[in-house]
Amino acid sequence: MIHNNSAGFSRLLVIWGITLVVVAICLAVTLLLIERSKLTAIPVAPPPLPTAANPSDTPPPPQEVNLFLLDATTLTLVPIKIERRLRTDDLTKRLNQVVTALIQETPPNFRNTIPRGTELHEVYIDNQQTAYLDFSSHLTDGHIGGTTAEFLTVTAILKTVFDAFPDHIKQVQILIDGEEIKTIAGHLNLSQPLRLPQ
Amino acid sequence: MTTTKTTNNTARTKKIQERCVNRDAVSVKIGALFLYILVLAITLKGIAQAPTVRFIDADGKIIAEIPAHHQGEQVYLPVDAVKQVIDPRATHQYNHPRKRLTLKTKGRQIRLQMGKSAISIEPDGQTLNLTTPPITIAQQPMLPINFFTQLLPMLNNVEVIYNSNLNRLQIRPKSTWAPAETNNTQNWTIIVDPGHGGPDHGSASSTGRLEKNIVLALAKQLQERIKQQGIQVHLTRETDTQKTHFERIQIAKQNQGQLFLSLHCNASFSPHEKGIRIYLNNPKGRIRFPNTTKPALIGQQLKVLAQVNFLKQSQDFAQALQTELNFLTETPIQIIDIPLIALSETYMPAVVLELGYLSNFEDLEKLSNAEYTASVVEAITRALQRYISFINQQTSPTAPAE
Repeated sequence: MIHNNSAGFSRLLVIWGITLVVVAICLAVTLLLIERSKLTAIPVAPPPLPTAANPSDTPPPPQEVNLFLLDATTLTLVPIKIERRLRTDDLTKRLNQVVTALIQETPPNFRNTIPRGTELHEVYIDNQQTAYLDFSSHLTDGHIGGTTAEFLTVTAILKTVFDAFPDHIKQVQILIDGEEIKTIAGHLNLSQPLRLPQ
Repeated sequence: MTTTKTTNNTARTKKIQERCVNRDAVSVKIGALFLYILVLAITLKGIAQAPTVRFIDADGKIIAEIPAHHQGEQVYLPVDAVKQVIDPRATHQYNHPRKRLTLKTKGRQIRLQMGKSAISIEPDGQTLNLTTPPITIAQQPMLPINFFTQLLPMLNNVEVIYNSNLNRLQIRPKSTWAPAETNNTQNWTIIVDPGHGGPDHGSASSTGRLEKNIVLALAKQLQERIKQQGIQVHLTRETDTQKTHFERIQIAKQNQGQLFLSLHCNASFSPHEKGIRIYLNNPKGRIRFPNTTKPALIGQQLKVLAQVNFLKQSQDFAQALQTELNFLTETPIQIIDIPLIALSETYMPAVVLELGYLSNFEDLEKLSNAEYTASVVEAITRALQRYISFINQQTSPTAPAE
């Protein structure tokens, strides 16, 4: 009888053990899937709006913005339409929203030409209609190099900004951690504000 | 009981037999499918290869495109190719039983025996041993590629270069190369700038090959080859060390360089992008600097403009490189104008040559192949000769007589 009892007990232990392991695996897989979906998912929802000073203020309506991304088959930068609730009251904040969207978006079949993980610290527009875009140093440290890649990175930024603000921005200067830079990856000269041919 | 057992057994055997028949049918279907795929693949391969040999001149223009036969690794052309490439008035006679071919061109008789390497050229009395003998294919005499590469320089005053990867054969006038013309005492000094170095690796392949190492190795090969042509060469770095753009330009100035060639390897966000690219420093290119600039940047702007003064000569050198390197590539090489930091203060004609994409597997394989890199070095050397000859021609009539 004692022998039978102990056998029953150990069988119970095995069953419980297996159940726990299965539950743990399911939990881990679920967490992993959630994490992965966070990494790959394209943020479709507009970024949260700052709390309105006046409670009667309504959020701005969504607007279409063209983001220039690399088409992996044609190897050219193409405009991809997205919707954003752009701030109507402040040009600088609107510019910040557009460039931040360009950094974040990577729809399937397209490549983002800005190194993943790059942050936009700040933007500034002077009275000469020059937009200064201050990126984190990951734009240079995380860049894959090569003249083509560097050209694509800079052109994607310029095209996106000029397309979104044709009347307000005439040239763009790229800064890293608040400083003027000579280049991103050692080829293009970025020491001055840049334009695109008309 | 026994009868029911036997009926059960027969039913089972029937089922098993049916299954076997079904299996056989499935395997026949799979076999047929494989056969179909095999036939399709062979047909497609045949269509895709459709081999032709392209004969081009020194400037890259097509002289003739002739259908060829591939046998093993050898490429053979019909005798009519001689008319298209060497001499339209050429005639030939083929003695089928004896397998002897007699070609008459430019007052000479060339006799070949199928399957034999030795050929005789009358009336000179010369003999030539081909590395691959001519053969008959479908009872027709066929000439190997080396018939053209070996014989043409003997008949005409030409050089022949064969690109076996792209089946291209270039016929160019024999080089009358002299780095300094008799009436032009200018000695040429070229600055070759292997990009990046030290902790700055440049771009990298997924297999771990680094741009800084590839360009340094090629720059050293190029240095050796250019020196053989009687041109002085200085490298901006001889070892794996980091050099600023300013230091590189100082080396160019100190050595009184007349031409600056910066070597790089490219990379893109798409693995499909491939090929050689040539870049020129042009602040009014595909990305441009504003016309007016802040007063604080006036000094810098002046420097930029000073470099632009050499744009025309840089374009001439870029075109020479393009003509010579096009021989190695399937698609024509692009020349791209953008503001370049590497050339922004080089006060001499200057070009950035991107040898290939490390992000593309095909380019990476090419750049790892010694035969290919040697052909790139040859093409750059020929481009230098072309450019220097061009500049010498331009300057010699106006040069003061001494």
